[in-house]
Amino acid sequence: MTFRSLLRSPYTGFSFFTVLLLLIPLAVTNEYYLNVLIIIGINSIIVMGLDLLMGYTGQISLGHAAFYGIGAYVSGVLSAKWGVSPLMGLLVALVGVSVIAFAVGNPTLRLHGHYLAMATLGFGIIVFIFFQELIFLTGGPSGLVGIETMTLFGITFDSDRSYYYLVCMVMLIILLLSINLVNSRVGRALRAIHGSEVAANVLGVKTSRYKVGIFVISALYAAVAGWLYAHYITFISPSSFDFYFSIKLVTMVVIGSLGSLWGAIFGAALLTTLPEFLTIVQEYETVTFGIILMSVMIFMPRGLLRGVEDLSIKIFAKISNRSEVQEGTKQ
Amino acid sequence: MSLEQQILQFIITGITVGSIYALIGLGFNIIYNSTEIINFAQGEFVMLGGLIAVTGIQVLRLPIFFAAILAVIMVAVIGFVMNLLAIRPLKDASPITLIIITIGASIFIRGVSSFVWGKEPYTIPAFSGDEPIPFFGAVIQPQSLWVLFITMVIVVGLKLFFDRTLTGKAMIACAFQPRAARLVGIDVSYMVLLSFGLSGAVGAAAGIVIAPMSMLQYDMGVILGLKGFCAAIIGGLGYPWGAVVGGISLGILESLGAGLISSGYKDAIAFLILLLMLFFRPQGLLGRSKGDRV
Amino acid sequence: MDLGSASKIKGLSATNKIMELLLTTEKLTKDFGGVRALDNLDLEVREGLIQSVIGPNGAGKTTLFNVISGVIPATSGLVRFNGETITGLPPHRISSLGTTRTFQNLQLFSEMTVIENVMVGMHMRSAGGFLSSSFKLPWVVAEERRIRDKSMEWLEMLGLENEAEMIAGSLPFGRQRILELARALASRPRLLMLDEPAAGLNIRETQDLAGLIVRISKLDITVLLVEHDMDLVMEISDHVSVMDQGRKIAEGDPETIRNDEAVLKAYLGEE
Repeated sequence: MTFRSLLRSPYTGFSFFTVLLLLIPLAVTNEYYLNVLIIIGINSIIVMGLDLLMGYTGQISLGHAAFYGIGAYVSGVLSAKWGVSPLMGLLVALVGVSVIAFAVGNPTLRLHGHYLAMATLGFGIIVFIFFQELIFLTGGPSGLVGIETMTLFGITFDSDRSYYYLVCMVMLIILLLSINLVNSRVGRALRAIHGSEVAANVLGVKTSRYKVGIFVISALYAAVAGWLYAHYITFISPSSFDFYFSIKLVTMVVIGSLGSLWGAIFGAALLTTLPEFLTIVQEYETVTFGIILMSVMIFMPRGLLRGVEDLSIKIFAKISNRSEVQEGTKQ
Repeated sequence: MSLEQQILQFIITGITVGSIYALIGLGFNIIYNSTEIINFAQGEFVMLGGLIAVTGIQVLRLPIFFAAILAVIMVAVIGFVMNLLAIRPLKDASPITLIIITIGASIFIRGVSSFVWGKEPYTIPAFSGDEPIPFFGAVIQPQSLWVLFITMVIVVGLKLFFDRTLTGKAMIACAFQPRAARLVGIDVSYMVLLSFGLSGAVGAAAGIVIAPMSMLQYDMGVILGLKGFCAAIIGGLGYPWGAVVGGISLGILESLGAGLISSGYKDAIAFLILLLMLFFRPQGLLGRSKGDRV
Repeated sequence: MDLGSASKIKGLSATNKIMELLLTTEKLTKDFGGVRALDNLDLEVREGLIQSVIGPNGAGKTTLFNVISGVIPATSGLVRFNGETITGLPPHRISSLGTTRTFQNLQLFSEMTVIENVMVGMHMRSAGGFLSSSFKLPWVVAEERRIRDKSMEWLEMLGLENEAEMIAGSLPFGRQRILELARALASRPRLLMLDEPAAGLNIRETQDLAGLIVRISKLDITVLLVEHDMDLVMEISDHVSVMDQGRKIAEGDPETIRNDEAVLKAYLGEE
């Protein structure tokens, strides 16, 4: 293994990132900041899944908050109403989400473009309405209380610090699995579908199976995030899983940079903390959000991470051109 | 009220609401017909139309008619601006980018509205009073008649515009074959600009005419826009009569469902219908199925 | 078996092969609304040969490819590959039986690197799935290495090895065409269908392409070619079928076709 290959390997970045995350609680002890970091971690998990679906495979989902909510509500309801352990709740949630995502994904992913976008949007809203209307189960708009705090294998995660480590661990595992996946035959097949679905088909890629497969995986990621969320806040209400949040998730993916897992985490971090900064001038939040969204799409449509990358390549090229001219290498 | 009378009442409500969905769907179709973009901010045009009219009436003390004209013109201008700032710079962007931009625009417009008008609901008085008119045991609100009337005027007007005038035909040509359109001298970007303005005007009209019957609020555009889009899809994206057929059907089904089954799930009905249409007949009721060519 | 001038380039090895029917269409018909693009077309493709399909614009050549490869469904009629009926099967199933194709308008994975494009060509010859890839099982790692090495071999064979890590979309057009060929070859098809591979190439590039196709044919790959470039077709084909308005109007070796009345009429009538 040469030094260069080490530098280019995705695992290097991953290792640094892991160390960084582990060290953060030593510097940050303020509960509020830890709280924000935990939410960033939870959001990153959803956004990574969404990136696999949208960035790598080229599909769209404007309803992913639904899977986030299903994960939260299944485990939350089982815990609050029947005292089911969080671990069991997670298993049931994962099975449930797999079934739903498979059932919805099959007909939906035959669609493309706007039709696909609207179908996922419709699905998301329908699920949201069910969260609101199934009052006997979910508590309706007033929400569900009494969710157990997270206890796994005898350990209770009832401090912000311990929950931070839990979320980090889950996020890092999912990140690692995702890195492996995108750098594999499957990852290439997904990107091939994005590049040219017909060519992928003709080369033997079972495109419908891969599309549904990655849709289910992204739904499972969102469900895990929902599970983490429910047992952290111990109270959930439908407003956390509405259409606006689905749009926010898409914004995180797109602004971070589609097709980049690091971009997904970056986008999640940026857009989770932004409202916190803007709380100072609360009314401006929506307006600023809209402006940011439009500006990034107009000026850096590949997202911030890629946009900065492209920009620095351009600047670097200009500088090296200029120095070549000065040295008389170029005419 | 007997069951038949109740059903009749639901149908009347359904037709009224459906007409609004039809108008909003028309707005989608106008832009789609000139540029194959789905404008997620269409619902915001409706909201702006209503709220600007409110300002015209309450602040500027204008009579309803002039406030309406003012609102329609202003929203048309907003449509132009939106096209110039957000859409034109990105003509060749991918569908995802365009979807996100129009979503961003809708978020922005909503944010500004919450600023200008706050978050409370507004209303304007009914155009010709609110004495309900009896009709076979059910009642019709006079405003409903206004809704139907304005809808018909706009629909017929648009049909004539697209079928008979050169500008209208040019607009439609732009989505199908922008290059060919350019070759015969049509200024495609100008047509697209016009379509945004026209779509804004139609949306505003919908907002104004529904205002006396429902609350005007900064965020009313979201669900209305989505349902208007459902109407367009149900009828067949791009077909003017499609939005009407789709809107009225949706309105009636929704009203019957809400009245007879459950009102909480009312919105779910619309989106369920949308999903079923997209899965089984994406070309809509009036559309013809497309073949795929490589 | 009269192979005409082509045999001078290819050598006489082709005459020693038993020429089996690899692909046949029987009364293949495709309607698009009111337009009949394929009209009861009977086509035979024999193994081991380079066969071309030519015809004026609108003759239905690309539609033929699209129907055979399963990209669009046939209205009626049959397509048989290696004895099996493949009409109605999805494209990836048809490909798994041993055929692949290139596209007239070049369907590269432009955002992926050159070598990654070829590696996708090896999709059918590998098995790593969602779970085994996520957990990076040892056999998947070994398979990845094998895929990469083999893909590099294909790039070397076609002279693309120096561009392996470049983004496919950044290559000049002629090189992109060759890449699409490399990608198709990586799937080791028995039948390779090329849809206007010379479109957009200059004379030098077309010459290179001709040599390339002959080399491919020597690898025991049957080539079915749709082309407009007559020189290319006449130079390398063993057998030529001529289509017009969805029907086959002539076939035979290049010399015969060159002088056929019906063919000349079809082409001249176009002007």
